[in-house]
Amino acid sequence: MSLFSARFRIQTFIAASSVLTGGIVFANPEFDSSIRPLIENYCLACHGGEKVKGNVDFSEIMEADDFNAHFEIWETVADMLDFGDMPPEDEELRPSSDEVQQILNWYQNRFVQTVEARAGDFRPRRLSATEYRNTLRSVLGFDLETTIMGAEQTVIERSLVLKLLPDDPPGESGYMNDTRNTPLTSHLWEQHAYIADRAIGELFSSKRRNALSKLIGEELPEEFQADKLTNGQASLLLRSLSKLANRRPIPESSLHFAFVSLQGLSGEALLNATKREIKAILVSPSFLYRGLLVEGEPGEQQRVDAFELAERLSYFLWEDMPDARLMEAAESGEVLNRDGLASQIDRMLASPKALNLSESFAHQWLGLADIDSAADDATTRGSLRSQPLDFLHYLFTEDRPVMELIDSDVAFTSYLTAKFYPEDRKQLSKYVKPKGIERQLVPNERIKIEKDQERGGILTMPGILAMNRGPILRGTWMLRRILGERLGEPPADVPPIQATATNDELSFRDRFDQHRADSTCARCHDRIDPLGFALQEYDDDGAYKLAANYKPPRKTSDHDEPIDEIDTSGTMPTGESFANFQELKDILSTSKREDIIRNVVEQVLAYAICRKLEVYDQSTVDAITKKIDQSDGSWEDLFLDVALSLPFQETRVPEISI
Amino acid sequence: MNWNWKIDRRSFLRGAAGALLPLPFLNLMEAKSLIGTRSSGSSADEPPLRFMTLFKPNGVYPPSWNVNGGTEFDFRMSPLMAPFAKHKDDLLILDNMGDFGFSSHANSTRRFLSGHHQNVNAPSIDQIIADKIRGDTPHRSLELTTEGLFTGQFGCSYISYGEGGAPISRESDPQLIFDRLFRNPMSDPEQRQAMTSLLDRVNEDAKSLVRKAGYEDRDTLDEYLTAVRETEVRVQNMSQASNAPRIDFSQLKRPESGANLDEQVETMIDLISLALWTDSTRCITYMLGNSNSRMVFDFLGIAEQHHYLSHFFRNFSRNNLESLLKISLWHMEKFDYLLTKLKSYRDHNGSLLDHTVVLFGSGMGHSDNHTVQRIPIVLAGGKGKLKTGRYVRYSENQELSKLHLSLLQTFDAGVDSYSSSSIPLPGLNGDYFPEFRERPFNTWVKRDGGAITAQGRLRMSDDLDEAKIFYIDIEGRSPVRIEVDFWDFHNFNLAYHVGTPIILSGNGSDAGSQLLITKVTDLASLYGNSKPGTQKG
Repeated sequence: MSLFSARFRIQTFIAASSVLTGGIVFANPEFDSSIRPLIENYCLACHGGEKVKGNVDFSEIMEADDFNAHFEIWETVADMLDFGDMPPEDEELRPSSDEVQQILNWYQNRFVQTVEARAGDFRPRRLSATEYRNTLRSVLGFDLETTIMGAEQTVIERSLVLKLLPDDPPGESGYMNDTRNTPLTSHLWEQHAYIADRAIGELFSSKRRNALSKLIGEELPEEFQADKLTNGQASLLLRSLSKLANRRPIPESSLHFAFVSLQGLSGEALLNATKREIKAILVSPSFLYRGLLVEGEPGEQQRVDAFELAERLSYFLWEDMPDARLMEAAESGEVLNRDGLASQIDRMLASPKALNLSESFAHQWLGLADIDSAADDATTRGSLRSQPLDFLHYLFTEDRPVMELIDSDVAFTSYLTAKFYPEDRKQLSKYVKPKGIERQLVPNERIKIEKDQERGGILTMPGILAMNRGPILRGTWMLRRILGERLGEPPADVPPIQATATNDELSFRDRFDQHRADSTCARCHDRIDPLGFALQEYDDDGAYKLAANYKPPRKTSDHDEPIDEIDTSGTMPTGESFANFQELKDILSTSKREDIIRNVVEQVLAYAICRKLEVYDQSTVDAITKKIDQSDGSWEDLFLDVALSLPFQETRVPEISI
Repeated sequence: MNWNWKIDRRSFLRGAAGALLPLPFLNLMEAKSLIGTRSSGSSADEPPLRFMTLFKPNGVYPPSWNVNGGTEFDFRMSPLMAPFAKHKDDLLILDNMGDFGFSSHANSTRRFLSGHHQNVNAPSIDQIIADKIRGDTPHRSLELTTEGLFTGQFGCSYISYGEGGAPISRESDPQLIFDRLFRNPMSDPEQRQAMTSLLDRVNEDAKSLVRKAGYEDRDTLDEYLTAVRETEVRVQNMSQASNAPRIDFSQLKRPESGANLDEQVETMIDLISLALWTDSTRCITYMLGNSNSRMVFDFLGIAEQHHYLSHFFRNFSRNNLESLLKISLWHMEKFDYLLTKLKSYRDHNGSLLDHTVVLFGSGMGHSDNHTVQRIPIVLAGGKGKLKTGRYVRYSENQELSKLHLSLLQTFDAGVDSYSSSSIPLPGLNGDYFPEFRERPFNTWVKRDGGAITAQGRLRMSDDLDEAKIFYIDIEGRSPVRIEVDFWDFHNFNLAYHVGTPIILSGNGSDAGSQLLITKVTDLASLYGNSKPGTQKG
């Protein structure tokens, strides 16, 4: 069951009923006259004023100036009502079916039919720490590294930038590139200033002569000393650095000040002046922010220019600034037409820089940081994490259908994870451990799943199973990350399920049933638990219990059922039943297919435009979902559709209101 | 008092990895004017006492480290001690330190500066000492390392623990340390001036953007300018507050990044010495690696991990043992480098080492079976506080917490107990200590044709390049040399008996003036167990 399938059903109903109501309804008058009394009557006792359950407070939501700001809550309201989840069954005061329909009609009008697609408001955005690291590397031509010895089984942060800059918290979109709400602070600025110093120091050191030559545009002799820099070379250097740092051509006049400050200088004085100018470039707002130099008419929705579009595309696919070829495509305007854009995406996905798409986007989307909870050992963590990352990189860059996320006959493994593929591991080349190295992280090899059918797709990857232990965590992960459902937080006063009890006769399943007998719990757990039960054949480490080579872990957990008692069957709230995980997978690939695709579209779009999706983005999501679903589109098709979409291509410069 | 000291450019030497560091012992300035006046509490004439800890990973191969016999003033340093033997007069070598049998890497690491592995809610002693001696130095303490975080048992990566016993994050990058100490815009006038002019410049640039920016842009630029302004205010406040003349560090050159571990460590030790000498900080801990270090010493021509090699029985081969000894010897060379460096700086009426208490050692003794007894622990320096030039072997195994309590009291930390100890370790400053007394034994050798029997103390060769060669010392004549194949070494467990008196019989011959045994036929311990457990341990 998902929010969107719910909405789909409502739509069918509206088509029939709008004839009766005469069609057009104005949102707020209708709300005040007919919806507000219903909410006040049926909802406010638990969700407003003194008592605020589940963090939903209608006394605030109903008074909001902009109803659109709360569109997700209204969507949830419609969903809950449609399935009879709210008000709870045991509540005496429940709306009649006519009243329910009244609210659903209002929702449909207010948030689906009358909302027009439009572009998001334009706002420059600070580069995230990773974007800044990558961009600085692209500008300079080398990475700034810190001194630390890496060894097998230790973790190190090699990048000086990532070591010195604090992690960006995920923004409202859920992604770290949504930096709107974590502005530049003075501490951050000082770190940027310090990093600039280190970068400049290294640029003029002997080991970076090639990078410096490239920036100046002439081969510097081996014996080159930084204080032998000529005035001409310094000017060339500043010109190329400032073009790169601004990520678009800049008028010659803006460099005037810099050139004047170099005039008449030579030797050490010239070098120092040049360093000062470079530092000013590397800490300037137009380097540290994206989109600062975009110009537009206030109040107008407009297409972004070619350079902004190139920048959006490269930060989307590479988490980095455009390279020379993309800049050329921007200068020629090629990137502005569909074919030009498509060929750039094709080229960019083939670049090693596209690894950032799996390592940042997929990593955050799937919550892969949690793999740290699956094992203490760094090599084990690394091997478990590399499998979903390699798999998604393959889906993203080799034109694989979106739905192969759920089922695929390709897997990536190495000797470290080979035990999870008892038959198909034979395809791996032999690993010979070097003498004296205890555990070594090695790159995965691609194998074809021929026999170990229990492993195809993302859902049964060992690391995914190991980071989500027990049916509840696994069900929740699948609902949230794959099906895209919004689940509230569990109430604070409910103890966790005791899956094995000491003194009574309840079975494993009984205990969950008991938990779901409470309607507060049932609302989410009716959806969560069955999905989790389907995965009970996989143990806490992600091993498949029915495999011939299965060895139980040393420590059993309380959600571990004896092998001969495992029950993987379940019934979803929609009434669909399955006997085991394979049957659940079939349901996911058929009746849940659209939900999954819609979620993927939403995730990719939110990441690409670096902001939370709003009600006016829904028709974009609808359109792309429909297209991918009907054409069995690939990830690359999806990336192109997102790059061609209205929120990606256009922007709205807000009116100046003082 | 003149703080505006300048060091002449010619007086710099190029350090290991290219750092320009002041040339030692040139008496460029009156030592008194440089150091000592910034300390709180102590008078201007009294130099501050610093505390420096150097941690060696993975224990040792005991036969190579342990001192064989010997008394307080009459002892012979072990083969591994050779690199720093020249500093004998400045050393206080402690023996029979540690009172645990098997212990994990993580536990023995916690114990190294925290007394006991269960002392997990208290700060380690370096942190207590740092609070005590910090005075008004700009940096309370430095916690340094070389190696990444070991996630499998993260306790292996930390010796310094702060309030509540929480691990203190470690820094490994010499350039970052250098910049923190000597290039801080907030404390260095020259850096501050550069920062001020950058701020002016950046403000200009941003304002010219504001003039043409749209509404939302202006919000962003406001955000940017606010951040810049905050820095500006802080720099201004600093300029006003720091009327007191500060040391001018502008002549010091930031070190370049070392090409390998050896260069990185020497650069770091250069910085450590400079930091202590300039009184930038008075307390530093430095881990040469995690306590279970997995590093590969490729620059020594070794391809195996240190931890793998440290299990010399489990992974037994002579080559492994030789590689392990090379790594341990390298650690000893770095200890020597530190001592030499600290001695090379003049500080008041002595050297920097005189005014620094140095603690060198490892968390465990035996690297293969993880026993925490006879841990390598050496104190150095601390003139007037420690009585050096001695070998102190206690009659019984000592808890590390007693040493820690003594060190805390050396720094007047005002505590009468620490961790599990309320009695300090005796003997550090020359006071009485219960000394280990060996049962006396005679030494002799008999030869009957090819059969040789010798009684005496077994020891390893002093030359670590011939670690497979052993000797039995005989009074009044040259020692009997034992050069046997691997199986004799293994079956008779020669390594186990090193340092103790034995009777050994074997076959051999004359080799010049020396008797040489090439085949062992029997071995008996004089006072101990002749056939200890299985060699695979």
